[in-house]
Amino acid sequence: MTARLLWAVAAAVAASVPLVTANTYYLYLGMTVGIMVVITSGFNVLAGLSGQVSLGHAGLYAIGAYAAAILATRWHLALAAALPLSIALTAAIGALLALAALRVSGPYLAMVTIAFGIIVEHALIEWVGLTGGPGGIFNIPKPTLAGVALPLPRYYFVVAAAAALALWMTHNLMSSAWGRAFIAVKGSEIAAESLGLGTYGLRTAAFTISAAFAGAGGCLFSFLNGYVSPDSFTLQTSILFLLIVLFGGLGILAGPLVGALVLVLLPELLREFLDYRLIFYGGLLLGSIYFLPRGAVGAVQDLWRHPPRAAAAPSAGVPSAWAPAGAPAGFASRPAPGPGRPLLVVEDLWVAFGGIQAVADVDLTVAAGTVHSLIGPNGAGKTTLVNLVTGFSRPDRGRITFDGVSIIGLAPAVIARRGLARTFQTPQLFEELTVLENVMVGVAGHRLGSLAAALTGRGRAEAAALHREATALLQTAGLGDWADVPAGALPFGLRRRLEIGRALGAGATMLLLDEPAAGLVPTEIAELDALLGRLREAGLTILLIEHHIELVMAVSDRVTVLDEGRVIAEGRPEVVQRDPAVVEAYLGSA
Amino acid sequence: MGIQLLVTGLALGSMYGLVALGYHITWATSRTMNFSQGQAVMAGAVVAYGLHVALGWPFLLTLLGTLVASALFGVVIERLAVRPFFRSASLAWLLATIACGTIAENVAMLTFGKDARAFPSALATRPVLIAGAGVYPQELLVPVVGLALMGGVQFFYHRTFYGKQLKAVAYNPEAAGLMGIHIPRAVMTAYALSAALAGAAGLLLAPLLNVAPTMGTIIGLKAFAVAIIGGLDSAGGILIAGFLYGLIESFVAGYVSTGAREIVGFAVVIAMLVVRPWGLGGARPTRRV
Repeated sequence: MTARLLWAVAAAVAASVPLVTANTYYLYLGMTVGIMVVITSGFNVLAGLSGQVSLGHAGLYAIGAYAAAILATRWHLALAAALPLSIALTAAIGALLALAALRVSGPYLAMVTIAFGIIVEHALIEWVGLTGGPGGIFNIPKPTLAGVALPLPRYYFVVAAAAALALWMTHNLMSSAWGRAFIAVKGSEIAAESLGLGTYGLRTAAFTISAAFAGAGGCLFSFLNGYVSPDSFTLQTSILFLLIVLFGGLGILAGPLVGALVLVLLPELLREFLDYRLIFYGGLLLGSIYFLPRGAVGAVQDLWRHPPRAAAAPSAGVPSAWAPAGAPAGFASRPAPGPGRPLLVVEDLWVAFGGIQAVADVDLTVAAGTVHSLIGPNGAGKTTLVNLVTGFSRPDRGRITFDGVSIIGLAPAVIARRGLARTFQTPQLFEELTVLENVMVGVAGHRLGSLAAALTGRGRAEAAALHREATALLQTAGLGDWADVPAGALPFGLRRRLEIGRALGAGATMLLLDEPAAGLVPTEIAELDALLGRLREAGLTILLIEHHIELVMAVSDRVTVLDEGRVIAEGRPEVVQRDPAVVEAYLGSA
Repeated sequence: MGIQLLVTGLALGSMYGLVALGYHITWATSRTMNFSQGQAVMAGAVVAYGLHVALGWPFLLTLLGTLVASALFGVVIERLAVRPFFRSASLAWLLATIACGTIAENVAMLTFGKDARAFPSALATRPVLIAGAGVYPQELLVPVVGLALMGGVQFFYHRTFYGKQLKAVAYNPEAAGLMGIHIPRAVMTAYALSAALAGAAGLLLAPLLNVAPTMGTIIGLKAFAVAIIGGLDSAGGILIAGFLYGLIESFVAGYVSTGAREIVGFAVVIAMLVVRPWGLGGARPTRRV
């Protein structure tokens, strides 16, 4: 409610500026803020949602600006024609850059984007025939709309509308499956992949969106300024974009607006301290990193809602149990593979890391509809085997088939989409998303719908269906009361439940659980035992890696024992338990 | 012209390698880097100018003063911008070091002035003739000193007790910590050493380029490019990549244009990251789940 009121006030203030003043300088400043909002809203999708840092967006901004300038001066295109073309060109170049750049991350990505920015900057200077060289392009005609000239006060409204549109689109995106998928990739890449999300594609999409917004900003800038030159598109400009988003609040809708207002207007107010401008920027950047982890907007939000997060937690401190009897909701409708037939078959599997033979000559067959446990001392190669099966590592040789089809060499996300889901030893939750949203990411998987629909806020019916299915799954997992709590605030004992619930949401026909009982208290282990039983009744196949021997003996149909990368025993639990080789591996020879 | 370009390329390349070695040193020890490494080069040049030209200190004393001042710069960066965010998953350290560099640049503008100044040196006034090409003695001196400094760093790392401690931290910080190595101090030392190398590069380059507060950014970026091309984890790869980069740059500038120099150089980095992200001398990393 308060948020809506604030947005309405902001819109009213923005709209009233040309009514209050006709001063060209003030209007120019207002439009500069608007253009920055357009660019940094896109940047917020990239940095705030998908978690990628770019230091080369000035290059994309330049491409949008120069495209518009060239289209307007040489082809005599009006704003309405130049804008979509500039956006399309910038988005296309952004997508190409992303395809190359996003193979790396962290400081490497920073390097690629810096390099891109420098290449564009120098190309603008060198390619005189196209760009006018160091002097740039002058005499860009004044903007017109449907043949009507747009003098400054009217163009102001165009820019303001563009800024509003940019904010509206990011708002839609943030509450869409795409937005959640971006945040999921930022939170845990491996977990996102294990749910079938293509992380490379998603990061490329986020980068392309941010490029399109930068292109739009560039085009609006060209028509505002009347000329463009390489000076406007340096590394400093890229850092300014980053600073605006960081100061305003990463991943927060209003962040770019507040950041742009402060970083455009404040330096103008402090004109007499022009010589200290870099100290101002550097200090603000450092201060934001130190004191405003969620930016200025986030800091105000946190003060407003006091206490910030705990309020959302269920009042009863005792976690509710897994839902009792009956098939768990949300996945029972999936066709269970014919019970008893081999579902996952591993043959002659070998892998070595450095000099260590982590997995050697392993054969393993998991029958559909069974609980199959994999046990062995620490370092026996259990998790390595799971990583090999789920595509996170590549074997040196061997065969792995799932449901009769080879899955060797497939990406983790592709394997996950075939119905093979996993959990991790350390639960990998998307901490910024709520518990419910975590499951929604799983349920949606890679079926995110069209990006255009996400940006324009369509597809509410699908969203409602997604919400219902995820809610049902949360009930199954006994997390119904925790739906709106940020996953980062979830108690440890419940984190694994959420991970399992999320994997179920992803449509798994087979679950690989990597030590699900680790760190759980006895009552929680009993609940886990009951859940595994119910999942099997519902037709799921489970490969369980576990140290908790009572649990293994209670739930397993078959047990495979690994030691030093080799299978040393395989069979029914009570038989394996008495196997001398197993006893020796666990206790050492007597 | 070929010989001049060769000499210039080797001189610049050795300095890129020296500065890039600084990225390697802190990356190996802490998985962080000083993104104001270029400003450390600038600080070295500015301090050297102040000591040598303004105060008239003799060369050796100037060198010593420059090394100490730039090492201090590294320590300040480490305390202010790296330690608070050490081993956090985010890139806060990256942004914080950029912020510190920006501030340092402004401070240099306020104290040194905005305009570029020539750094007078007897070795860079009169060219000598080598195979018919005019070459400044400074250009011949630079790669020699650069290589000597790089050799010194390698000696320190492989032959001295303290250097071995730093290497241990790079290899396995947890085990090193358990063995009683003070990790924050090791990281601080790495930053001091890294910035000192950059400062030395600033001093050596000052007579060839001009001294200006804004001189650092592009040198820092090129050195970063060199570090990536060579492989952040490979000192040897960086050495080779430095010379390669310097030579490519010098010949492109000589035969095409100075603007094309930056375009080609940075395009090589992007290509390298697409084809072989771990660099010339690095090893393909294995993924951890």
